[in-house]
Amino acid sequence: MKHMALLRPAAVAIGLMAGAVAPAQVFSQELVMGVRGGPESLDPHFSALGSHAEAAKHIFDTLVWSGDDLQIEPGLATEWTPVDDDTWEFKLREGVKFHDGSDFDAEDVKFSIERIPVVSGPTTTTIYVRRVKEVEIVDPLTLLIHTDGPAATLPYDFVRLFIVSSDAAKDYSTPETAAEGFNSGKATIGTGPYKYVSWEPKGDLVLERFDDYWRGEGAWEKVTRKEMPNDSSRLAALKAGQVDVINYVSSVDYLALESDSAVDTIKGDSVYIMNLQLDQREDTPMVRAKDGSKLDANPFRDMKVREAIDAAIDRETMVEIVLEGLGKPANQMMPAGFFGSNDDIPMPEYDPQKAKDLLAEAGYADGFEVDLYCTSDRLPGDGAICQGLGQMLSAVGIKTNVNAVSKTVYFPAQGRLEYSMFMNGWGTLTGEASYTLGGLAHTNNPDVKMGAFNRIAYSNPEVDKLLQEGATTLDADARRGMYEEAMAKTMADKAYISIVQLQTVWAAKAGALTFTPRFDEDTLAFFMKPAS
Amino acid sequence: MLGFVIQRLLQAIMVMAVMSVIVFCGVYAIGNPIDIVIPPDATQDLREEAIRRLGLDQPLWKQYLTFAGNLMQGDFGRSFVYNIPVLELIGGRLPATLELVLISVLSATVLGVSLGVYAGYRPDSWLSKTIMAVSVLGFSVPSFWVGLILILTFAVNLGWLPAGGRGDTVLVWGVPFSFLTLDGLSHIVLPAINLALFKLAMMIRLARAGTREIMLTDTIKFARAAGISEAVILRRHLLKLISIPIITVFGLELGSTLAFAVVTETIFSWPGVGKLIIDSIGVLDRPVMVAYLILVAFLFVLINFTVDLVFALIDPRIRAGATE
Repeated sequence: MKHMALLRPAAVAIGLMAGAVAPAQVFSQELVMGVRGGPESLDPHFSALGSHAEAAKHIFDTLVWSGDDLQIEPGLATEWTPVDDDTWEFKLREGVKFHDGSDFDAEDVKFSIERIPVVSGPTTTTIYVRRVKEVEIVDPLTLLIHTDGPAATLPYDFVRLFIVSSDAAKDYSTPETAAEGFNSGKATIGTGPYKYVSWEPKGDLVLERFDDYWRGEGAWEKVTRKEMPNDSSRLAALKAGQVDVINYVSSVDYLALESDSAVDTIKGDSVYIMNLQLDQREDTPMVRAKDGSKLDANPFRDMKVREAIDAAIDRETMVEIVLEGLGKPANQMMPAGFFGSNDDIPMPEYDPQKAKDLLAEAGYADGFEVDLYCTSDRLPGDGAICQGLGQMLSAVGIKTNVNAVSKTVYFPAQGRLEYSMFMNGWGTLTGEASYTLGGLAHTNNPDVKMGAFNRIAYSNPEVDKLLQEGATTLDADARRGMYEEAMAKTMADKAYISIVQLQTVWAAKAGALTFTPRFDEDTLAFFMKPAS
Repeated sequence: MLGFVIQRLLQAIMVMAVMSVIVFCGVYAIGNPIDIVIPPDATQDLREEAIRRLGLDQPLWKQYLTFAGNLMQGDFGRSFVYNIPVLELIGGRLPATLELVLISVLSATVLGVSLGVYAGYRPDSWLSKTIMAVSVLGFSVPSFWVGLILILTFAVNLGWLPAGGRGDTVLVWGVPFSFLTLDGLSHIVLPAINLALFKLAMMIRLARAGTREIMLTDTIKFARAAGISEAVILRRHLLKLISIPIITVFGLELGSTLAFAVVTETIFSWPGVGKLIIDSIGVLDRPVMVAYLILVAFLFVLINFTVDLVFALIDPRIRAGATE
């Protein structure tokens, strides 16, 4: 399977004017990054959290690399091919060194895969190796991975399979010892571009360049990754010159920064898409007639009502007004260009009159009342989009009470199926459809291990069939077709209504550095180059 | 005296036990922490496995008893999020909070009492009036706003001081402190001012009110009649007499600032315990929340106990009362 050259995300390149920068900074080989979140441990296998993986990518390499557009590329493995229905062969890169000078080989891969289920924390990394039954070493640079049945997406699962040194981590591979060994640096030996110097939970991660890195030497001798969760503090630190680059600039600050000559902004498409989810159970808790009485049936089970809701949403306004331009209208649950995205899905049209007509046809000429839930502190703009939705739906007669709550409250309640209509950001972090459709669109069925996050009881047998077939089809083109079809069918049912794709903004000292924004929003020091 | 200490200890244990039960039930009522931390592509069986590993599949009373049992052996448990012992996690961040809070509370007290005594001693001078007017600001302006303005002025516009974070540290008996290095001091100035402002205003007003009251009493009149110099009167008599309410407030403020310097720590990215507890609440990291609140309860009991002892040292009447 080769890397697919797809369109890069629209990137606003950093200005190259370096006129006013002091000489000391031009020659400085140090990069200080102010980032919103950090690792929970320096054991890369402990957590599947995005910011955890982002930090780990500085020290460790993954077996398969996920590029800027999240399509897979060779990493520590150079090629991979299915040998038979339940075996993949992986060829490893030659001449790769660990930070302690030892050679990387198949033993380290086997060790890392087998270590994950033992040391994983609650944000479980076991997802990356759940299909692996056995790892067989053929020679130091060849592995056979036996899976529990045909595992078509195995290479995608491996984009966050970090490889640790089997020697250095040997004594630190139980839940009790792992944190001690990795947080102290004793076991933090990877093949990545930077070496561990020091780390404190929620504090600074200090790194030093690894000169024998297989991709070549990084641009910065020393990298400090400072955790600054508060948006204003992060921006202040940049303006005060304490940090060189920050991530997650808020949309309000972005507008102000565009006219600030001391700061460059870099805008990139994000993998996160906001989806409105409509409960399909026969009896749903948060819907009622406008006078408070119970409705005869759950209106969201009526296709006309779902179409009406879709037509009532003005996606352009959502992007231009609510998100200050930092987004794009979305018509499906993955960005264009991902494995399984369907280019033929039309962009829904905003037509409030059609929405009213459809509601009347469905027997809700007077509308009804619903409680809409969403997070207010998880993704940029989530609370605001929710407010916007509430107004748009109320305008066509569906009286919508907006509840933008903390994610601490939202996720457990969503898990208990307490909501009827809710909006959720979803990021397809592996860049392919089984991640998204398998979790959301398949009927919730533990027997086939799919639909775990389908909290609206959505069930379409045709979609289920396509997804189950796709998961076992090793031929990539055939599988892509199945996922595209499943995506089209899911979106046509309108139980999931995609609204907007978010965009992310980084800010850097004017003329300090350049980089290509990644879809998964990772801020990676190795791929940032000094601009000079 | 011994009875007093034992009584206080029993109180402390009661408070801590009640605290742990409340936090346990509170977190349980919000929901399952797994739902917040589980990755979106986890299958149903992986979710069950994660719940089982954290012991969240057990009934609440059983989870609590396990926790209490471990606590008896001095084990507060491990953080769900960081997988390191909770005490280590809190202990690693305590020095940062400790130095920030001590510097700000101490300087607020010394400066506040001096200014307050002056304002009470010469209530009609223009300087006193200015002091009192400014102290109203200290009360009424919200501290997060002051913090942002401090950053904007001294870090962003003037560029004199860093905008946040903690500077270089040196080890003193194995504990890292930053106020002993120049870089560390430059980092601590702004958050310390931010934290001290409210307390400064309060100390000024307390000291002024006390001074005005005491200056009118017979004690001062007789002292003056006896020909004792004003400086000695202020130092020996006045300060001692106004110190009881000031020490009480000092103790309470010290405790509450140590425990909840959250706003300042967040704005200035100060790696202290206040930030830790807020982050832990955000992901329902129950072991950290429970342990932290138990420690805070203990801290308050300890500080109040110390304050009582100090009273006895300063005021002979209280000392006499205790021995009767």
